[in-house]
Amino acid sequence: MKIIDLAKLSAEIVAQQAATALKAGQLVIFPTETTYGAGVDATNPEAVKKLLAYKARREGKPLSIAVTDIAMAEKYVEINDSARRSYQRFLPGPVTVISRGKGVVAPGVESEFGTLGIRIPAYPLVLEIVKVLGQPITSTSANGSGEKRPYSISDIFDNLSGKQKSLIDLVLDAGTLPQNPPSTVIDTTLSTPVTLRAGEIKLETENAKLITLTSTSEQETKDIAKRLLLKNWDNLKNHGLVIGLDGALGSGKTIFTKGVAEFLQIQDIITSPTYIYLEEYGFERHEVTGHLYHLDVWKIETEADFHQLEIQTLFGKKTVIVIEWFNQIKPWIIPMIENSQVPLLQVVFSDKVPGRELQIAQPKS
Amino acid sequence: MSDQLILAIDTSCDETSVAVTRGARFLSNVVASQTQLHKQYGGVFPTVAKLAHRQNIEPTIEAALRKAEVTWKKIQVVAVTQGPGLAPALEVGITKAKELAERYGLPLIPINHIEGHVLSPLALPASSTKLALESAAIRNVLSLVISGKQSEFFLMTEVGHYHHLGGTIDDAAGEALDKVGRMLDLGYPAGPIIEEFGRLGNDRAFEFPLPMTTSGNYNLSFSGLKTFARNKIEALGAEKTLTKTQIYDFSASFQKAIFRSICYKLNKIVQKTEITEVWLGGGVAANMKLRSMLRITLKPYGLKLRVPYSKKLCGDNAAMIGVVAGVQTIQPKSDLEREPRLKLV
Repeated sequence: MKIIDLAKLSAEIVAQQAATALKAGQLVIFPTETTYGAGVDATNPEAVKKLLAYKARREGKPLSIAVTDIAMAEKYVEINDSARRSYQRFLPGPVTVISRGKGVVAPGVESEFGTLGIRIPAYPLVLEIVKVLGQPITSTSANGSGEKRPYSISDIFDNLSGKQKSLIDLVLDAGTLPQNPPSTVIDTTLSTPVTLRAGEIKLETENAKLITLTSTSEQETKDIAKRLLLKNWDNLKNHGLVIGLDGALGSGKTIFTKGVAEFLQIQDIITSPTYIYLEEYGFERHEVTGHLYHLDVWKIETEADFHQLEIQTLFGKKTVIVIEWFNQIKPWIIPMIENSQVPLLQVVFSDKVPGRELQIAQPKS
Repeated sequence: MSDQLILAIDTSCDETSVAVTRGARFLSNVVASQTQLHKQYGGVFPTVAKLAHRQNIEPTIEAALRKAEVTWKKIQVVAVTQGPGLAPALEVGITKAKELAERYGLPLIPINHIEGHVLSPLALPASSTKLALESAAIRNVLSLVISGKQSEFFLMTEVGHYHHLGGTIDDAAGEALDKVGRMLDLGYPAGPIIEEFGRLGNDRAFEFPLPMTTSGNYNLSFSGLKTFARNKIEALGAEKTLTKTQIYDFSASFQKAIFRSICYKLNKIVQKTEITEVWLGGGVAANMKLRSMLRITLKPYGLKLRVPYSKKLCGDNAAMIGVVAGVQTIQPKSDLEREPRLKLV
């Protein structure tokens, strides 16, 4: 193992030596604006294996990579609009942005779900090393898993086994670093939109009657829900009803559902089901007893996840199924709805000053 | 209080968790979405993949036994979350718990997940010399459960006896933080990032209303604050993209608005109710800003805030389920069914 005292050499020479070591598949300990990092060439499978052995019990901690700028990042990950804004705001700096990987780095660097964290350290030496190397380097912290955060070389060495220590090839010693916290990790891979613009969601128009209404208050939104339910009461008794809701966060989807529940004379408070995915309520209205299921599929991204919710088991007469972020699961649920011949009522909320515009596709009776 | 060795399972929602506990102490507490299964994932575990309880349950049980350094021969009780939660998720834990109880001839105890959060401040590490607080000392405790799913006030007259004083009528506090964080491009989950960035921002930079002041009850509402935040973010972003400083300031200000609302109702409750201590549980209990604002609210009353001693005990976990079974006598039930809408009271 070679140790370079950064106070004694120019940054240019250090960067050259570090890049040469990394190119040869070696493991380099380097300083950053947070803690010391353990770096290997992230595109070299043998070097990555070595790093994984060094980290020992990684316990799921991410292996992010350091790049020089957003253009370099785009070679390795898909950067969506939200991620791009985070790059512009926070990088270079102590923030790691997770995106979907492009499968370009060595095995074991991306997560098993194909995601990858990107860092652009606010530490010129690291950027210089990456630039000279021309490849991204891993930027996991240099401590063994579960050990003390490494702010000095002795923090690292005091907690390593002999075997781990023997894996280190080069140490760039910048002395004791300021005790900054580790980088903040922003995971931008959840694809659900935050906002929806008018016309972005297509209503299912086959066998449907289209209307557009305006609401300027929560009470009005609830009243619209009640009127729509009354129109579909016979449908609901005989076949059940699926209500698909779409609209930005805070546009009135849960308020609408509260109106549905009031119509069904449900006494319970209707709370948002975002984290529980599904809430179930019993109802009794004019001697008809049935169920209201309130779903929020905001976090459902794949067909497999959708099937885990077992929505098809809920369909039936006297059953109302309200689904927030309906568009998210539309391709998978439409065939189910068609097969079971349950009527579909779809509502899309968009902004209108003042209030909201509700585009509604009602089942033809 | 019992000194039996309990294997506890929680699959109420996203996390698959198994713990080995005795009394209020836990010997292991494995949460599969976190780290102990040596999965190589990139930072935050994709939320939706967490529904995969069926794949996780076996290895999680093995890991919990291994970490506790016990074998099935030593386990005396199986405890499992019966609800509330997502029906298919609960089903996985309950089916497995039934199977294990039958195979090893052990009593099976159904546990309410919310009671787990309520009693989570009782949980002690394995190294603790005492089994638990003296149950007799627990009288008239005000419990706050603040998470992505719940934002509730309970009065615990004694362990096992609860009254619901109030709670959210729409979004939970953690959910409002996550959703507004998403509007600020902080990804998902955004709540913890709001906390981190909030430390760097000015919490007076943006003004928010204080909701539910005339409701005359102890209920909370966060959906109005969420909509208010959304309108503000859109107005700010209409001219040009929000800057780093604006993101920090907005995080600080919005987080304060949410917690101020909780403190406002807490203050009302404390004025009107005889209580001895205040306990905090649920995922948002890990937030240091919330803890400090609650302590400031309670200080004039000389009341202590008791919190779970580790972050992991705040989020969904099985140790708290084991603790519920360990600190009181609950009738075993071999034919228990999932109860997705189970209430605490």
